[in-house]
Amino acid sequence: MISAEFTGIIIMLIGMYALMTKENLIKLVLSINVVSIGLVLFFIGTGYIEGGDVPILPRSTVVDPLPATLMLTTLVVDVAITSLALALVLKIRREEE
Amino acid sequence: MIPLLVASPLLFAFIISLLPALGKEKLSKYLFLIGAFSPWLFISSIVQKLPLGEVVGGWERISGIEVMVDSYSLPFLVAELLLFTFVAVYVYGDYYPKKSENKVYGILLLLHSGLLGAFISRDLFNYYIYMEIASVSSFALVAISKEKGAKKAAFRYALFSLLASYIFILAIGIIYLKTGYLNLFLIKENLVFSKEINVALVLAFSSLILKSGVFPLHFWLPDAHSKADAPISALLSGLVVKAPAYGMILLILTFPISTLMQNILIITAFLSMFFGIAMALIQKNSERLLAYHTVSQMGYVLLGIGLLNPLAAAYYAMAHSLFKGGLFLSVGTIAEHYGTRDLEKLSYRHNKFLMVAIALLSLAIGGISPFIGAFGKFMLVKEIDGLLKYVFYAGGIGTLTSFIKLNYYLLKRGEKVPFPFKKEVVSLSVGLLTLITGIYFYPHLQLVRDLSFIFIGFVLFYILKKLGLFEFQLSPFFPDTGSKLGREINVYMLFLGAFLLFILFNSIH
Repeated sequence: MISAEFTGIIIMLIGMYALMTKENLIKLVLSINVVSIGLVLFFIGTGYIEGGDVPILPRSTVVDPLPATLMLTTLVVDVAITSLALALVLKIRREEE
Repeated sequence: MIPLLVASPLLFAFIISLLPALGKEKLSKYLFLIGAFSPWLFISSIVQKLPLGEVVGGWERISGIEVMVDSYSLPFLVAELLLFTFVAVYVYGDYYPKKSENKVYGILLLLHSGLLGAFISRDLFNYYIYMEIASVSSFALVAISKEKGAKKAAFRYALFSLLASYIFILAIGIIYLKTGYLNLFLIKENLVFSKEINVALVLAFSSLILKSGVFPLHFWLPDAHSKADAPISALLSGLVVKAPAYGMILLILTFPISTLMQNILIITAFLSMFFGIAMALIQKNSERLLAYHTVSQMGYVLLGIGLLNPLAAAYYAMAHSLFKGGLFLSVGTIAEHYGTRDLEKLSYRHNKFLMVAIALLSLAIGGISPFIGAFGKFMLVKEIDGLLKYVFYAGGIGTLTSFIKLNYYLLKRGEKVPFPFKKEVVSLSVGLLTLITGIYFYPHLQLVRDLSFIFIGFVLFYILKKLGLFEFQLSPFFPDTGSKLGREINVYMLFLGAFLLFILFNSIH
């Protein structure tokens, strides 16, 4: 079966393809979000262990919790950047009118 | 002790952002000044105990975040603190209107703590987070400018910087997958070199090269740095592009770098130097000229990294922060009070302070001894021999020629415009600082060599002027209209993708 890391990288490439082909500024912001979603999936995949359980302590095989925590931070950065980029798009539109 | 360096400006940024809700916006400028200067309290006690490292919160190294100040990060920290202090004094008071003042001060402090945090971190993910705090604040600061096209420049900067960050995290992910650690010391201890690590290194270097604005991935830089306000440009060119350079230093300290990769870095560095100078020579806009010199000077920093001489790169980065920050402040002051950035209309003739400041800073960027630029070049040139040495010196002469051009235009008589005394003093003090630090680090005079360089610079300037290069108008690759912005981003993204593929295929075999 296809692994989560591999899927993540494919999604990142789809996002990059959109960045190369879409002219609409809002679509560009969305495609950068697609890249970030692919990245999150890649990271979650790196922490996955076959048959692993939720990482709460008295269990023998658990998934690695660190990548998931790191991705929480990245998602926060994403939210901040997306709002900033959308605000900039609004300002650019207003400047043109 | 070390984390406090970052925590204090961050705390004040938080308090400042709360002030409007409390109705006490008048306090924000005082809090800004306290927040900007507070790291000085801690740095003095840190400097006495170098190298000093600790894991935040007293955890074990494997489960904590490590920070460290040593001889590689100290030049970056000192440059950051010095330049930010000058910019804080420059901005303090009435530079921004009362309405937006509070927000600008908050974002500036965020930038301050982001940069300090990046420069002390020894953990890949922590480094990324702080670099990102600094980048996000700089997108916002570029967008604040009233200059036409500033919003577009900020948008383009944001998109490319963001994509580079994601590529960088992907590289961190691959490293984590292969080694199981994010802490650089543990990675170094447990490293087994493999193809995957090599791919990760290529991705990480490409993204950091984009973020530090080195040719051929410099396309966002000239716009973003030239459309911002003068003190913001000083911070962007002086400090924000240094955070990725510090990341590259961390990478070469941790991972073994193959000769092929080294050669790619050195070639990129030389291309960047000369491309930046060539573009700067034909610019008519004072700020754009300085922005292209940043592309060129970042080539020198990358050269230090490519030669696996991190100390030289760090000291050159410090030198560049000081003189480029000073140049943006002083030239920016003139441009702002004339209300134009057209070199033909600007003049410093009636103002002795700015005249001396710009002259000092031009000598410093040209690498004339005993200024700080000479020390940076001395550190770099030690490792170079043969033909490359002459190419390296040719770069210095090119820079001098370009600054002779800048001074030539500014020396022309213009209408008298009064400048505020504070801005003059700040510009002059940065100029004097480049001289003082230069004498402190490298007290040697190389009169014959330097005078001959200046002489060749003048001759070159005269020839280029006769050839009419300075009247040459390069039609912009993309017209400055908003509807084309999407198209432009597409083309550059395509270029970035091609660059990544090219460099990946070449370095994997």
